Amino acid sequence: MCSTPAVADRPISTHVIEFPYTRTLGPVVGPFLTGLRDGTIRGIRSRDGRVLVPPTEWDPNTGDALDPSDVVDVGPGGVVESWAWVTEPTGKHPLQAPFAFALVRLDGADTALVHAVDAGSIDAMSTGMRVTARWRGDRIGHITDFVFVPEAGK
Amino acid sequence: MSSAPEDVQGASDTERPVEMMDYFMHLEYRELVCPIVLTYAAALMRGKILGQISPKSGLVFVPPRSYDPVACVWLGDEHLVELDDRGVVTNFTIVTPVQYYGQEKTEPFAKASILLDGPGGTLSLQDILEIPPEEVRVGMRVEAVWFPESERSIDEIGNRSWGSAAGCIEGWRPTGEPDLPADTFLEKVY
Repeated sequence: MCSTPAVADRPISTHVIEFPYTRTLGPVVGPFLTGLRDGTIRGIRSRDGRVLVPPTEWDPNTGDALDPSDVVDVGPGGVVESWAWVTEPTGKHPLQAPFAFALVRLDGADTALVHAVDAGSIDAMSTGMRVTARWRGDRIGHITDFVFVPEAGK
Repeated sequence: MSSAPEDVQGASDTERPVEMMDYFMHLEYRELVCPIVLTYAAALMRGKILGQISPKSGLVFVPPRSYDPVACVWLGDEHLVELDDRGVVTNFTIVTPVQYYGQEKTEPFAKASILLDGPGGTLSLQDILEIPPEEVRVGMRVEAVWFPESERSIDEIGNRSWGSAAGCIEGWRPTGEPDLPADTFLEKVY
């Protein structure tokens, strides 16, 4: 698809490519997203005892297969390890007002999860701050079923 | 890019485990339209098909693209030529539509390459009208069916619209003239 404005207008054409598809989630990401739908964030315990969030089927350090029965609940609170402020969100961003993308290490986790923090203002963001999950009412089993908010402002 | 939640369907069940995920890849981009494409589009609105003839190779390119990729020379406004809206089918494909996302057709249809009369030039992916797709053949003589001037649009014409005249030419219908043997136009097919 594309559309070209009338010849006298600015000569810009807009093109759209769309491709819908469905993928299977597997024995670890499936339960992770099922947990999100049910209002719980889950990680997986690796063989050396670390808890990885989001959970993976394989240990990223060793390549060892992980056991889906080692999925454990984490959070919903956590600590911001790093962040970047998004001043002008696009329609594809999880929030439509300015927000932060942050690496959040959830309580009980040893790795950080990238997610959005609805802090309201860049001044409310700082490395080391506490955040917690704010859940959507209509959850479907998708990473956007929640966003983080500053814990004080929960 | 994964979908915004409102794009995701079929996972609203609150009991079953979530085992599948729907994605909706959506990419929108904008680009400046080449001046020569605007010239071509404006001519289509007036019912004219413009091409560019290469002074080096003699080949005609339609839509014009300001260069001859065969002889490696730039082409300018001085190389514009008005082409006939009649020609011959040099190749075709019969498409049996699969109902994937965005496919609006349900019945088999033909898309043809048409070598225009006169100096030449080939418009590709053209619709053949008035006959069933299985009657389309190489060598068949056809003529353009233009939309009425008030209904023409260049909305679908951009830098990458290949041989498109979509929005201005509805398709091509058989003229009833005898077919041309393939060897009479073989060297003009490129």
